[in-house]
Amino acid sequence: MESLTEASTRALILLFSGDAELWGIIGVSFRVSLTAVLLATPVALMVAAALAFIRFPGRRLAVSVLNTLLAVPAVVVGLSLYLLLSRHGPLGEWRLLFTQSAMVLGQIALSLPIIAAMGHAALQDTDPRAWETARTLGAGPVRALLTLMSEVRYALLAAVIAGFGRIIAEVGSAMMLGGNILNYTRNITTAIALETSRGAFAQGIALGGVLLVLAFALNTGLHWFQGRSRLDPKYLT
Amino acid sequence: MSTLRLRHITLGYPGRPLFEDAEIDLIGGRCVLLCGANGTGKSSLLRVISGLHRPQCIRLLGLEGAGIRTVCADLRRRVTYLHQHPYAFRGTVSANVAYGLPSGLDAVARRMRLAEALHWAGLAHLAHADATRLSCGERQRMALARAWARPSPFLLLDEPTANLDRESRERTLALLEALLAGGRGLLIATHDAHHFPGLDSTCLEIERRRLCLALPGTDRRVTDGTPRASGGGT
Repeated sequence: MESLTEASTRALILLFSGDAELWGIIGVSFRVSLTAVLLATPVALMVAAALAFIRFPGRRLAVSVLNTLLAVPAVVVGLSLYLLLSRHGPLGEWRLLFTQSAMVLGQIALSLPIIAAMGHAALQDTDPRAWETARTLGAGPVRALLTLMSEVRYALLAAVIAGFGRIIAEVGSAMMLGGNILNYTRNITTAIALETSRGAFAQGIALGGVLLVLAFALNTGLHWFQGRSRLDPKYLT
Repeated sequence: MSTLRLRHITLGYPGRPLFEDAEIDLIGGRCVLLCGANGTGKSSLLRVISGLHRPQCIRLLGLEGAGIRTVCADLRRRVTYLHQHPYAFRGTVSANVAYGLPSGLDAVARRMRLAEALHWAGLAHLAHADATRLSCGERQRMALARAWARPSPFLLLDEPTANLDRESRERTLALLEALLAGGRGLLIATHDAHHFPGLDSTCLEIERRRLCLALPGTDRRVTDGTPRASGGGT
């Protein structure tokens, strides 16, 4: 077994030499997770808006269910979809199991609750005057809703980033639904799990490093987007 | 001349009835002051007349037989409501004022109307300023410019001069007079009619959940055909 220093050195070499297998794995992760978050976001925001602004029987229960879904482990989502998509499952005819599409489905199921729950909290917090001002200035319900979303855009962006952060780093559903097939469904997390079990740490460390850099970049991006706080620290006493 | 004749306004919350069978007429170019102490339902009534809040009952003359939703939609089209503390959308003053411009305008007409609105409210120098950082007076004038830019015949204002210093109050009053001169009908909620000296207006009071003309002396212009409200039994 190689030492941590040796493994880290090899990891850096793998990363900067443009190792095709390693970058292929990173590509799968990004393709799958970005597709999932792009598909989940509009639906999640509609769910968030409906829960925040429409009064219907069972709304509180729906909010509780949504918040419960935040805590569902990725492997449970993976297992549920596995049973649905397996050859003898109700959706077996789709023949999606062990494909990137199945991974996308699993990651949509994982990211949707987090984006919807955080979006709901943000929208529920909006100033009622914003809605009234938009409506009285002639905006229809759709434009008024888009205006409200724009007013809390940083909170919504944080929700989307949190959703992306959860699925890019999850391993359970990707492993069960994708099957960890090299150059097809092997992503960063399933590769780390596999390489670690084989005692080959270099690729695992390199991929872990990519995840860390990604997390840093996302948070830096969010901070940059948020801009200055309305409370200017320069003038605080 | 635009008119807005509302009848049978009934509004209340569980355990707290506010208005019962109230009626009010608004006419373009005329100003009505809605006077009443805090908590009498002035703001709620303004929201109803703006079509922003659905009452238990409301009838609009000229739209007889229409349901409450239809009446509210018609009111939203004809009335613009200004909060006591106007809300500023994130963005520049220009973007805020442009929000209410009619969608049918082309780019050149939009720019001209926007420039006119900013100039009218004395905000041209703040066009690119952050709207959320304006002072109370500037924010009130931005809200007036936003309402001016929208071609609705009636403006409903909730305590527009509260929290303003003398200079800001005078500037706001001058803008209100300009709106009246331009043919807009105004309904202003206030806890004190004396906040609007010089404004040619009719004063209504909330009494026993209805609207009635204020006592002689506070009613500065009551003649046939001017904005009026009757309280049925009052």
